Amino acid sequence: MSILIDHNTKVLIQGMTGKEGAKAAKAMLEYGTKVLCGVTPGKGGQEVEGKPIFNSLKEANAQFPDITTSAIYVPPFAAKAAVLEAIENNIPTINVIVERIPIRDTAYFLATAREKNIRVIGPSSLGYIAPGIGRIGVVGGPLVQEIFQPGSIGVISRSGGMTNELSWQICKAGMGQSAAVHVGGDLLMGTTYGDLLKLFQEDAQTKAVVIFGEHGGWYEFEVVEMIKNKQFTKPLAVYVGGKFAHLFPEGMTVGHAGAIVERGQSAEEKDRALADAGVMVAARYEDLVTLIQPFA
Amino acid sequence: MNLYEFEGKQLFERYGIAVPRGCVVRRGYDVAHEYQELGIKNVVVKSQVLSGKRGKNNGIKFCSSADDVARVAAELFNSPVRGQYVAAVRIEEKLEIAKELYLSITYDTSTKQPVLVYSVRGGMDIEEVSESEIQKYMLDVRQEKISLNIPYAEELWRCFLQEDARLVEINPLVQAADGKYVAADAKIAIDEDAGFRHKEWTFEPRTMMGRLPTEREEMVKAIDAGEAYYRGTAGKYIEMDGDIAILFSGGGASIANMDALIKAGLKPANYTEYSGNPTREKVYALAKIVLSKPGLKGLWICGGVANFTNIEETFHGIVDALDEIKPTYPIVVRRAGPYEAEGMELMRSCAERNNLRIKLFGKEESMSDTARVLAEMVKN
Repeated sequence: MSILIDHNTKVLIQGMTGKEGAKAAKAMLEYGTKVLCGVTPGKGGQEVEGKPIFNSLKEANAQFPDITTSAIYVPPFAAKAAVLEAIENNIPTINVIVERIPIRDTAYFLATAREKNIRVIGPSSLGYIAPGIGRIGVVGGPLVQEIFQPGSIGVISRSGGMTNELSWQICKAGMGQSAAVHVGGDLLMGTTYGDLLKLFQEDAQTKAVVIFGEHGGWYEFEVVEMIKNKQFTKPLAVYVGGKFAHLFPEGMTVGHAGAIVERGQSAEEKDRALADAGVMVAARYEDLVTLIQPFA
Repeated sequence: MNLYEFEGKQLFERYGIAVPRGCVVRRGYDVAHEYQELGIKNVVVKSQVLSGKRGKNNGIKFCSSADDVARVAAELFNSPVRGQYVAAVRIEEKLEIAKELYLSITYDTSTKQPVLVYSVRGGMDIEEVSESEIQKYMLDVRQEKISLNIPYAEELWRCFLQEDARLVEINPLVQAADGKYVAADAKIAIDEDAGFRHKEWTFEPRTMMGRLPTEREEMVKAIDAGEAYYRGTAGKYIEMDGDIAILFSGGGASIANMDALIKAGLKPANYTEYSGNPTREKVYALAKIVLSKPGLKGLWICGGVANFTNIEETFHGIVDALDEIKPTYPIVVRRAGPYEAEGMELMRSCAERNNLRIKLFGKEESMSDTARVLAEMVKN
């Protein structure tokens, strides 16, 4: 068992004819993910990696009615329309890989997705992986076999690079991951740490979870609330980056778009709130592995 | 990006929100003359800064003569507000205040939608107003009208949406003695990611670092401008006081590594991160500027296990810069990911032909550990 992706996951890629979309198709197929087709308006009839391209989601759906997941690789100005098209066609899970989407567009499609109970992961997410089962996006890159192994640790990260880095540290220490999810670095997250903790709580394979968080934003405090309300009861270790951010004035963005220097949302304040709730707090990101090891 | 008050007020006027009559003066202006042109006796003279509580930090003064205004403006230009550089001074009519209110719209990260905040207790920090005196209205970004019985709510909503703002705030929103509402202040943060649909956004250069942007910061910003914008990011550079040059990859790794660098007792000369899949040319331009800062004592090139960034391509850009500059200070490299072997080989041969003091690490060594390696090399 795993979260978000299993052997029945069937994927469509919006923007599969583009450079990054084609690379992602290859990466997913090589890892055993069932990529069925792609959509690029005006490129219907072409093929990428031997998979058909359609002009619209509607055409794709007609031929492949059982698509579960859309991975979106389009330019930022086209992202809103692409996500809305996936929502209209009732794709249950949408992974928005696109970076630098205007926040107004993100808020728009998140509101529409919520009404239809559709899960959006991202924006600015590089994807997610259930080792040995499949991956959405290019998580792990070409080193995926070395840095991911099936196991019992759930990995959540605000950063794509750190999703890999942490997973690699976990493997190096002889453990493995049940799933690793890059939630994206934007101010608005379609799927939050809290949403994922709920899934990991229900997932029998997951024994413990690590989170790579950052200064700025409210999402770590949602975790604190969940722990206090006993909605998440498995061992949890968190690293919050950005201790140095006090060197910069309030209101400045240092790191991802969501990493804003803000009173009440500093790395130290998050560390304190998490520690008070009984979460294991790592001083360095490397310490996450040592903290979680006894529970794997 | 935060706007100055005077820029915010220009936008407010466009959306039908009244602002006090006034003018903006810069260093070197004939301030007394501008005051006389304005033709109002009692005025408020206000520092134009990007953030900070001006009222409590001597950034706002009241004057009623030309001599007064000229003297006060000169003072303000020389008095940063909580470290923020004073870019201009706005002189505007002093309002006859009956009531001070608070009104803002920003994004709420729990609803992931805009929230309108209104309070009859304006003029102070909204954080200091008790919850019972604050009204919050959860909005939906898809709605056109908000139909609230709050002055300027509709106008501010249109401004928020059409200007692609992340924050619009009027504090205080003044009800004048004659009953009319006037925005006495304007705080707007725009979403630079929406720049593609705002060709009119031609704002003057700015940084929140409490000084004018440095030449290097301006040059780096230009790397991602125009056509090259979406071909990876190589345009992040904040100049700092230390002496260790930084070339980080990835937003998350970069903040973890800044923490690690400082823990290792080193001081960053800059904060820089490139991400996505920038071209060799872009990374070369970035590296050259990072290495141009005088007084450097070390260089840390560090990133995690990349998902899709091409290590060979990006390192090629760094190697191009190293070949030109040939630094004599120690360099530590830690990186893994696509084409890592090819990238490391480029570094190795570059080190050899230029006699560089360099240590190369792959994913076996953790990032924080390589900060300590650099600290040792710098000490010796």
